[in-house]
Amino acid sequence: MPRFTRAILTAVLLAALAACTTTPVQPWERGRLARWDMRWDPDPAQAALAEHTYFSKEGSSGRVGAAGGGCGCN
Amino acid sequence: MIRPSASLSALLGAAAALLPATQAAAAPSDDATTRASYRFSDYDEDSLAPTSVIGDGKRYRVLSQAFDLDTRVGDGKYGLKLDATHEVMSGSSPWYVLPDAQQRPIQVLSGATIRDHRSALSAALTVDPSARSNTTFNVSYSAERDYRALSAGVERSQSLSDALTLGYGGSFSHDVIEPTDAALYDRIARATKNTASGFASLAWVLDRASVLQAGVQLNAEHGYLTDPYKLYSYADAIVPEHRPGQRLEGAALLRYRRSFAQIDAALHVDYRFAQDSWGLHSHTLEVAWYQGFGSGWRVVPALRYYSQAAARFYSPFALVADGRINYSSDYRLGTFGAFSTSVNLRKAIGRWELSIGAERYHSAHGLALDGTGAGVPALVDFTRAYAGVDFGFD
Repeated sequence: MPRFTRAILTAVLLAALAACTTTPVQPWERGRLARWDMRWDPDPAQAALAEHTYFSKEGSSGRVGAAGGGCGCN
Repeated sequence: MIRPSASLSALLGAAAALLPATQAAAAPSDDATTRASYRFSDYDEDSLAPTSVIGDGKRYRVLSQAFDLDTRVGDGKYGLKLDATHEVMSGSSPWYVLPDAQQRPIQVLSGATIRDHRSALSAALTVDPSARSNTTFNVSYSAERDYRALSAGVERSQSLSDALTLGYGGSFSHDVIEPTDAALYDRIARATKNTASGFASLAWVLDRASVLQAGVQLNAEHGYLTDPYKLYSYADAIVPEHRPGQRLEGAALLRYRRSFAQIDAALHVDYRFAQDSWGLHSHTLEVAWYQGFGSGWRVVPALRYYSQAAARFYSPFALVADGRINYSSDYRLGTFGAFSTSVNLRKAIGRWELSIGAERYHSAHGLALDGTGAGVPALVDFTRAYAGVDFGFD
């Protein structure tokens, strides 16, 4: 089985497991989830600059800043 | 040329909308409807060891500035994000690799020091940003002396239940490259590349303190994917490198966030696996710890590990002509691993927030999970220092 397929299946299984074990969270219980440090990207401007660097120096990478960020990758 | 994928950023950008709507309002220092950010970054690569280099060993340095504005328009019915980035790049660049008498690689760097700058603008408009489900349209344009990229995309965040949010979208990018000194160095005069991307993700609220996101991404690139500035030592000749004219990449992503509010802290863990039709595959693991200290102080140490296996057509050089069509000695296509450590210090003062930080990145062939295959002589080590300020207002 190709690596990518295995990775997808693993991700789906983990996600399904997580969904099965989810306990209902009421709106008044979401204060901690609403914290700034729980955001996916608390500092998107800084993350964009960092990810543009990774994309320029690695063959593949996780994320990058502005879409259509040009090359700047010599 | 390797350039950022529009939809990879869209996948991560969409993730920001996948948490409960209340989260979006919780900035560290204010609840303003408009937030302006400025960031400065100084990226500086280490010089290569002079014993294994021909040419100027002083490598790349990039000074970047970014200005972001995040606001509401149309009586709050639309969220608008604008970003302007300017970069100045200078230094010499890996050109090709020669074998020495013992067939060890000698890296040849570009003789002339490169000096260029890049400017980029992007805009994203979100319809009903406060709603549990919303749609975002985005466009961007980037230009440097020899490279232009125009992209557009759309993404949708769809609430499926109180605990589950679906994200999906797609984008398209059209890039044009017009290499400098094309006639002098027998480079292609003008070429284009198109990239189509799609993604889907699911985010779960696991409990009162943790969330998980899983996503998949597909990118299809078509056109001129060769780096027109790179050469290759092929038998007795130095020839322009050559890569396939299309590339299909798939990626799977997992992201986890857990709050430790009792000690004013949060844990971030991100993992990504990617594989493409060139045979290149990679693992990326990032772990960060957000620790507050009261009075608006916060420190964020982070670790990142990256490992990739080489593209099928990568090798430092070819000693004999073997009939291959595609060949490249670009270190970014070789087998290597990299460790990165960083720390970010932040201080909120009313509606202002100040931020400084630094990152140290070290890469080596032996750090790869699968450290076999051809050596990679031009791997980069760099230091990146940055500073920024945010201001919130109504």
